[in-house]
Amino acid sequence: MSGDAAEGSVPDRNIGRAGRLSAVFGRAAVTGLIGLVAVFLVTPILVAVIASFAGDWTGILPADFITLENWRHVLGLSDTAGAQRALGTWQLSVPGTALVVNVPFASLVFSLLIALGGVVVNLVVGVPIAYAVTRYDFTGSGLLNTVAVLPLVPGIILGIAFLRTYPNLPASITLLIGYSLLKVPYMVLAVQSSFEAMDLRQLEESARSLGASWPRTVLTVIVPNAKRGILSGSIICWTLAAAEFNFSYMVYSRNPRPFSIFLYNNITNSGILQTAAAVSLYFAIVAGVTAALQSLGQRGFSIGGVR
Amino acid sequence: MSTLDGTGVLAWLRGRTGGLLSPRTEADRERRRIAALTLPFLVLATVGAFVPLFYMFRMSVSESRFAIEGLQFDSYVTLFESVAAAVPVVGEGIAADPVYGEVIWTSLWFGALTTVVSVALGVAIAHGLEKYPLPRKGTLVTLISFPISLPGIVVAFMIQIWFSQTGVLTNFFAALSGADPIDIALTGQPPETTLAIAGLFLGYLYSMIPRAAFLLRGSYAEVNDDAEEAARALGATPWQTFRYVTLPQIRPGVVGALILTFRTALAIFGTVLVLKALSVVTFRFQYEISNGYDLPMASALAGLFFVFTLLFTFLGLRYTSAEVSA
Repeated sequence: MSGDAAEGSVPDRNIGRAGRLSAVFGRAAVTGLIGLVAVFLVTPILVAVIASFAGDWTGILPADFITLENWRHVLGLSDTAGAQRALGTWQLSVPGTALVVNVPFASLVFSLLIALGGVVVNLVVGVPIAYAVTRYDFTGSGLLNTVAVLPLVPGIILGIAFLRTYPNLPASITLLIGYSLLKVPYMVLAVQSSFEAMDLRQLEESARSLGASWPRTVLTVIVPNAKRGILSGSIICWTLAAAEFNFSYMVYSRNPRPFSIFLYNNITNSGILQTAAAVSLYFAIVAGVTAALQSLGQRGFSIGGVR
Repeated sequence: MSTLDGTGVLAWLRGRTGGLLSPRTEADRERRRIAALTLPFLVLATVGAFVPLFYMFRMSVSESRFAIEGLQFDSYVTLFESVAAAVPVVGEGIAADPVYGEVIWTSLWFGALTTVVSVALGVAIAHGLEKYPLPRKGTLVTLISFPISLPGIVVAFMIQIWFSQTGVLTNFFAALSGADPIDIALTGQPPETTLAIAGLFLGYLYSMIPRAAFLLRGSYAEVNDDAEEAARALGATPWQTFRYVTLPQIRPGVVGALILTFRTALAIFGTVLVLKALSVVTFRFQYEISNGYDLPMASALAGLFFVFTLLFTFLGLRYTSAEVSA
């Protein structure tokens, strides 16, 4: 078959049954398939959010609305059997004093903070490398580009590698290093797409010829122009790191547990309604983040396709 | 370079580093800028990947399960004997336990199967999104991209909402056919049963279809519409147009998507951990760690897995027609 096309001969003019079928049903079939996939992907998300407000689920659909009991369990606002699987409280002693601060919603706050630290590292690391491989052509730039946009190591492997590498580091620092490494490709991709839309050489040369030094050109001309990519990269890295599981599962310590471990404990041990509330907490974050990305002109997590 | 003797190399090196520290020419300055821009990444890659990987390989040949001590190659011997024992016909004469070979084989066939299905569906989705005037296309794109943000454990829960004993579809079909929901649920079944594997299969697809679709959307954006219109005007059917005009243009993108999606499939862990339907390599790590803490064995298996994915990805992207456009 492929030989026909390569030799340039004209395919059979008799279109046959398959041809007639594709002419009549092809578009409808593909459209239906897209609809089916969208329903398969989105329905459970909606059902989970709705079920988180339900008091009972024994039939096809959840029932007994509206109750906030599941949310109270998950947020740790009621002292019941499921309290171990709530977000918990983080007892933080202030260095230098005898003061102990109780941080509520510990798992969530902890993970969001570590992920934020990861974003800072990703900015320092990801923006320069994205600029270097987009603007300059040098030995190894192609390889460096591939390494920067494809994660070097899958999360679970990195977790095993970390078990004996930094035994004396606190879990929070270990998680920070891991999240930074695992999420940097998303930052590089997002920033690179901004850089590729700019004429970097011309911008740089104009600024330089007007007397700006090279560091000043980069910091005050190039980087501000890539603002959109930098912002959407930061948002995506932050969200993905806050819910990272595979690496966290290998290296976390208790008190406070990372957010993804809180989700895991609920998924494996809680009833379906409380789990629905726990997972909906994350959906709420992603929905907010998606709206923020939309306002930056980015369609959801679409750059996350490369992984 | 081959004519340089020892001192020549030293002088050349000194010239290079001297150029970096106190550049005299514009080329030197550019080299210094590139070095400054790439340094943070190289530091992170060293601290976050190279050093831990070194310790992982060192741990895989350690005599102690808890610390780096001594030198042994037992874990690799066990691993390769096990792989050999799992090979049909040849393996029958080998007395080793084939468990690692079986785990690796499961990862490969299940990953390949889910990859092919995901990329095929991804092509259809990318095609429709690019070519057809679908209603609310922007919203559709956002919705299909949403699962990319979900960790594997949440994906497993999404599958439970559809197909567990209390799941929506399980109970729907139970009400329709009169069967007991326990008998037709796809999750919560004993491992390696057909129903459990079907549930895991759908879990893999849930993560992989969106990734495959968005990888292919990049390739579709570069397709030449004029050629397709010409083919249609000359009487080709939609299928012939796709087969002879569109497919040759997106083929490098499809190969790239196959490579990267297969990579994703091999690295899935959370979904398997929750659904427990098949023992794949990532699931075996967890078993080695939680049953006797056999870190040398887990490290050896992780090392093999890492080298395989690295070679597979880079050789695949380098020596096939693969193209990745995000």
